[in-house]
Amino acid sequence: MLVIRMPVRIAARSLRSKILPMFTPAATLHSHATSFGFKEVNEEDKSQLVGNVFTKVASNYDIMNDLMSGGLHRLWKERLVSKLSPFPGMKHLDVAGGTGDVAFRILETIYSVHRRAVDDTLEDDLHEETQIHVCDINPNMLNVGRKRAQQRGLGDLGSLTWIEGDAERLTFEDNSMDGYTIAFGIRNVTHIEKVLAEAYRVLKKGGRFLCLELSHVDTPVFKQLYDQYSFSVIPVMGELVAGDRDSYQYLVESVRRFPPQEVFASMIADAGFQKVEYENLVGGVVAIHSGLKI
Amino acid sequence: MHRSAAKRLLHYSFFCANRTSPIRTPLHSRSPLRFLSSEPPFSDFNTRTSTTHHHDTSHTHTHTDTSRTRRTTPTTPPRATYEEEQTRVLAASLHHVIRLGWSEAAMIAGARDVAVSPSIVGAIPRKEAALVEYFMDESLQKLIDMIDSDELQLKDLVASERIAKLIKARLQMQAPYISKWPQALSIQAQPSNISTSFKQRAMLVDEFCHASNDEGSGVDWYLKRSIVGGIYSTTEIYMLTDNSTDFDDTWVFLNERVRDAFDLKKTFQEVKYFAEAVGAGLGTSLQGFTKKGC
Repeated sequence: MLVIRMPVRIAARSLRSKILPMFTPAATLHSHATSFGFKEVNEEDKSQLVGNVFTKVASNYDIMNDLMSGGLHRLWKERLVSKLSPFPGMKHLDVAGGTGDVAFRILETIYSVHRRAVDDTLEDDLHEETQIHVCDINPNMLNVGRKRAQQRGLGDLGSLTWIEGDAERLTFEDNSMDGYTIAFGIRNVTHIEKVLAEAYRVLKKGGRFLCLELSHVDTPVFKQLYDQYSFSVIPVMGELVAGDRDSYQYLVESVRRFPPQEVFASMIADAGFQKVEYENLVGGVVAIHSGLKI
Repeated sequence: MHRSAAKRLLHYSFFCANRTSPIRTPLHSRSPLRFLSSEPPFSDFNTRTSTTHHHDTSHTHTHTDTSRTRRTTPTTPPRATYEEEQTRVLAASLHHVIRLGWSEAAMIAGARDVAVSPSIVGAIPRKEAALVEYFMDESLQKLIDMIDSDELQLKDLVASERIAKLIKARLQMQAPYISKWPQALSIQAQPSNISTSFKQRAMLVDEFCHASNDEGSGVDWYLKRSIVGGIYSTTEIYMLTDNSTDFDDTWVFLNERVRDAFDLKKTFQEVKYFAEAVGAGLGTSLQGFTKKGC
């Protein structure tokens, strides 16, 4: 429904984008063409195009996030980390987390947990073992993250590592991670299934997959407001603040192309995860999906 | 009938998963200690699955599609469900309760013991409460097994002694955790947990009353249940501050309370007989009076 209505609106705005009307997410995933926002592109080109987007937005990424979400993205990330419940000695992989937002929060949570249980000497050794790997396909985003780590005084800690890598072809060993998070990233990959399969592969038994992603709103009036905001305000904001309208047009379009909560949950279950759940935040503007590997 | 009611309520926490699971039922459906005894065959099973998985996923980057279909087809050996893993983790966590309390830390340590990633703790809803509830369920199961196997030799005892013995047997199960038991009580009393703790206590009291098998009592069944519940709870509280060897003071206290209750029952009966006598007396005199009046 949404997918049909949106193209009309964009066509009216006479954008160059080529539009295919109704295209279910499943069909998109199995075809050789894939979506880049509302555009259909070849699978090989998508990562290149997404790469371009993130190279362009990297410098203004944080300020734009704050502006677009009204600061709410901080709360969403807090919620993601609290659902993860990190622990000392954790091996964690944060994919598409170039700017380190999620990784820093995980580290801070582990340290605060540690402070509460100072008398436990066992945890001291475990602390040395804590490893948070930040993996991002885009080196520019990673650079932003490294810089921020330095500013926060986390730069010299051995527990943070920055890796340039593709979520569809992770370089980590099988059964090596306690946790896997991907925040606002899975929407941009070419094959969601491959990413999920890789997540399943690297996780240990008992390890958890958590995904924070912009999702679909169903509440009637709120949905209209949200669409209005996404398609009219965000691209303009992108143009004014970051001087880049197209990237933010891509952002709002790609959100519409991402599978709805239920479909994505079943994809996670298909990858082999158990106890697949999701939680809508702000009526579905974002959703946190979680799965457990046994 | 009573047993089935108890089972139905128990399903609420863990039994559901254990009974519906295809691999578990034939192996352990009648084992006396459903939770603990399942450990050895289970760990066996898990190592087997994890190795197959390792094999399965090791080729993921090259033949993602084939390995994926292989994993999702029903031909793969059934994996342990997360409920079973959760139960194993909770069982192992109990060993750490004395040191770390009814806490996430104990559960993390427990997960490490059974070689499951401690991340799983984040997937357990109402973490500490789940641990306390697991302990309550398991203790009830132990008590039922003790009654069934006639370990307590209840047959030779009178009703009051039976009740006292049953309550003592149950309280002895939490004696090892006595230093941390106030914490467990406070967890049970939290608003989000209180409904489950009420149910568990109701089931326990049912079991006491059922096993004491005190037929022919004139006192109402519900009154009896609430009195037994009261005795159990007060003794439980008394036990928290009891420093005597082997909780001797607690057992003296318990016997006194049971005696009081049975005295009370006698008093009730006496009052009833007295009332009947008075009623009868009044009736006759009234009859005589009306007759005279005629």
